[in-house]
Amino acid sequence: MHEIRIAEDLSAIVLETARRENLSKVTKVNICFGQMIQIVPDVFEFAFRETVRNSIAENAELDIEIVPVKVKCINCGNDFMVEENLFVCNKCNSTDLGIIQGKELFVKSIEGE
Amino acid sequence: MEIKVMKNILDRNQNKADEVRSVLSMKKVLMVNIISSPGAGKTSLLERTCEELGTKFTMGVIEGDITTDRDAQRLKKYNIPIVVINTEGGCHLDSHSISKVLDNFDLDKLDVLFVENVGNLICPSQFDLGEAFKLAVVSTTEGDDKPGKYPMLFREASAVMLNKIDLIPYTNFNFDIFRSDLNKINSKIPLFKISCTRGDGLGEWYKWIAERIDAR
Repeated sequence: MHEIRIAEDLSAIVLETARRENLSKVTKVNICFGQMIQIVPDVFEFAFRETVRNSIAENAELDIEIVPVKVKCINCGNDFMVEENLFVCNKCNSTDLGIIQGKELFVKSIEGE
Repeated sequence: MEIKVMKNILDRNQNKADEVRSVLSMKKVLMVNIISSPGAGKTSLLERTCEELGTKFTMGVIEGDITTDRDAQRLKKYNIPIVVINTEGGCHLDSHSISKVLDNFDLDKLDVLFVENVGNLICPSQFDLGEAFKLAVVSTTEGDDKPGKYPMLFREASAVMLNKIDLIPYTNFNFDIFRSDLNKINSKIPLFKISCTRGDGLGEWYKWIAERIDAR
């Protein structure tokens, strides 16, 4: 359900950017979600369609990049991808890890004319 | 034409959360964001905590509910300031709704402000309210698979309350599976095994939360 609120905030950013850049039509929106955010792309797409209805972004294509979770071990410096939610260093077994990617929730760019 | 944006979609929420956090830190109020699925025992935990620590600390509660003020009604008897936020269908609280109600509390007098988020394990984890920390509450009747299914919450929370341990004999809850899944995600997180109905394990929780309120 958080997809709806995130879609609302996204469409506000898209329309504000388009206005500032004097676009008459937004054709594509490129966004990036970390895997940990647990966004369901189909639900998000549906929510986004609703929020941009009757706007210049109405027909914009939505490109969602899902970023896997990557962490850095604070003990040995090893960085690795987290698989199956296993937050344990695969070199030294430490659980002292900092998340370096996987919590993204940002707009990369918009395309339009 | 492609226009680079590179902007956090939840910037608006984050900026307001940072503002709330700075106000609360200035006023020395510890805000705790309590997250669980519906019926896990957030309100029962607050009832117990008000009973035990209500004379030691000045408490306030923000009750996030989709509709009704039933949870707030249950806490009325403790004579503490309570504000209800009805989200009218919204599945989580956000920092703007918190910011709007802060004026209802005398922040100079408050030691701790508990926020009972809307019952949901996914959405509330994404929205920073400006809290000092998140507290995850799960109950044995929900099954032992919650940490594995909702890693974000268990990674972000500062402690986990496992409620309804008195009901384990009547369920298929397997504590070893629960613990092992939680260890994979966040092995250092404090875990309190409690029963809000019977009172098991609450002594350790009172001590833990009191230390955090004192150190705010």
